[in-house]
Amino acid sequence: MANSGTQSRKYRLQGAGLDLALPYLMLAPGLLIVLGVLVYPLWDGLRASTKVYRYGSVVADVGMQNYIKLWSDPQFLNSLWVTVEFVALSVTFEAILGFALALFCLREFRGIRLLRTILIIPMVITPVVVAIVFRLIYASDAGMLTAISEWMGGGQVQILGSPVKAFIGLVVLDVWEWTPLMFLILLAGLQSLPHEPFEAARVDGAGNWRVFADLTFPMMRPVLAIAIVLRTIDAFGTFDQVFVLTRGGPGEATRLVSIYGYDTAFKFQQTGYAAALFVTIGLVVLALAFSAVRLLRRVDAS
Amino acid sequence: MSSVLYQSVVKNYGALNVLRSLDLAVPDHMFLALLGPSGCGKTTALRILAGLDMPSAGKLFIGERDVTRLQPRDRDIAMVFQSYALYPQMTVGENIGYPLWIRGMPDAERRAKIDEVAAVLEIGHLLDRRPRQLSGGQRQRVALARAIVRDPAAFLMDEPLSNLDARLRLTMRGEIKRLCQRLGATTLYVTHDQVEALTMADFVAVMHGGELQQMAPPADIYDRPANRFVATFVGNPPMNILPVTLAEQGIAIGGTPVAIPAARLAACRAAQVVEIGLRPEDMSVSVPGAPNALPGEIYVVEPMGNETLVNVRLGGGNVSVRAGRDFRGAVGANIAVTFDVSNACFFNSAGLTAVHRVNSDGE
Repeated sequence: MANSGTQSRKYRLQGAGLDLALPYLMLAPGLLIVLGVLVYPLWDGLRASTKVYRYGSVVADVGMQNYIKLWSDPQFLNSLWVTVEFVALSVTFEAILGFALALFCLREFRGIRLLRTILIIPMVITPVVVAIVFRLIYASDAGMLTAISEWMGGGQVQILGSPVKAFIGLVVLDVWEWTPLMFLILLAGLQSLPHEPFEAARVDGAGNWRVFADLTFPMMRPVLAIAIVLRTIDAFGTFDQVFVLTRGGPGEATRLVSIYGYDTAFKFQQTGYAAALFVTIGLVVLALAFSAVRLLRRVDAS
Repeated sequence: MSSVLYQSVVKNYGALNVLRSLDLAVPDHMFLALLGPSGCGKTTALRILAGLDMPSAGKLFIGERDVTRLQPRDRDIAMVFQSYALYPQMTVGENIGYPLWIRGMPDAERRAKIDEVAAVLEIGHLLDRRPRQLSGGQRQRVALARAIVRDPAAFLMDEPLSNLDARLRLTMRGEIKRLCQRLGATTLYVTHDQVEALTMADFVAVMHGGELQQMAPPADIYDRPANRFVATFVGNPPMNILPVTLAEQGIAIGGTPVAIPAARLAACRAAQVVEIGLRPEDMSVSVPGAPNALPGEIYVVEPMGNETLVNVRLGGGNVSVRAGRDFRGAVGANIAVTFDVSNACFFNSAGLTAVHRVNSDGE
């Protein structure tokens, strides 16, 4: 016993130097990649946002001027408003639909596994492909909606040409594509709830609605909040579907900040201004996420 | 309060028979313990009464009402779960008041009732806390409070003490018994712990393999077990069972003849008994060669503080014997075991008790 004790101590002493360095050595590759693809671009973007570019080269250093200009730019303010509307509408519908589907799929019946699998398919399709398909559905000349309308004796259906309808069409696309994510998170949340309190409530006299209102919903609130925060952050950056479906049009009806930023950077070559725009959006989303998490904690603690 | 009746209740899960035709009548005000090893169907029986599971066949009555097809909330029962099943988002007060709130009792009346019940269970100072801020024992009290806050037809308790530590279990055991006696409540109490069943219940129903083995007062379950299963399941250490052979003049155990009164011998012979059952406390250690003593050797000695358990290897098998606290003996030493045959019971080849022990009142 004593012999093996001294022996292991000797090994430990021999390996002490390596033991200390090993964690850092193993972290180094990952750390370098993070520095290279995350930290440096972020820092470079911040630096770019204080400058004015012309044809790709810096012509002036303007400090915070780009940021100040944003708040008197009607196109930016409009795109911000469109984005907020888009996010609020989409995420609300996704949360409600996702919760309803998750509650439905919690039951066990024949074919439930297949149904759950089918329900998450939209999420795994490439967004651009989804947008192309929806474009084909919405197209006024040979689209699916027009075909159905004509079959029923109606005329052409104009979706993408009308500002309001195009916006609604975009929300429908987003809801179709991302409700499955909500569904998946909420289903996992529902499945992880303890089932005894629900049985206790049934014995105590609660009907289905009261069980939902008094138990399911309060117990699911943290999960629901996390799902909404995740989806909100994600929806703020929506780009590809809009780019394919409407390019922000008609007019500015579907021009989200991401599209406006893209146009500013690559159409109008205002690289510095676009950088300031995206930094601002990043900060807005960050603030949103922080306040949501704080709110969540306060609700949880009370 | 009401009586409870199970009428030929069957429960199958696919091909698995969890309950095979359970008939059980629980009179009003009775505290009945459903006792059995895990998988014996006792919890299923309770959940079927609660309405959380549906019986495959049979009927259930609470009082005069046929509740077989009723929803849990229409059965007028209260249940305490093994995991307490408190509502995590509600305070202790809201938890206790929930059954009243859902029935639309006015606020003031409800608050008075919550305070009253909380006082009984000594949790008045916890009413504003959340379940996760409570210890196991406190949660248990909240669960009990939520059950007794109404005046239901019956209380159902599903192993309510099994998540508590040993010391707390002992305290709560006494408290639940007191509480139920005070309320005069019809109570069905599921447990796998024979000590809980024997100490708390007016009647004990022993279950095994989805079938009711015996329903009797605790003393009868212990002294007059209906069969070999009840005899060995109840009692710690369990009843000693030894093969027995019948001879002209008496009986023999492991080749050693044992004297037995003529009437008892006749009864044994008529029933064709094959085994004898003896409680450890009905046997005593003796010196080899004593009359009617079974010779053997000491297998293991376990001092318990107030007594000593001596495990003795006999011709027919091992037996546990309760000996005095000052018993001393070396493993392997020769020893003998004596007993009064009137304290023994005898089993037939079907495992049923054919001849019971002679009761102290001289049956």
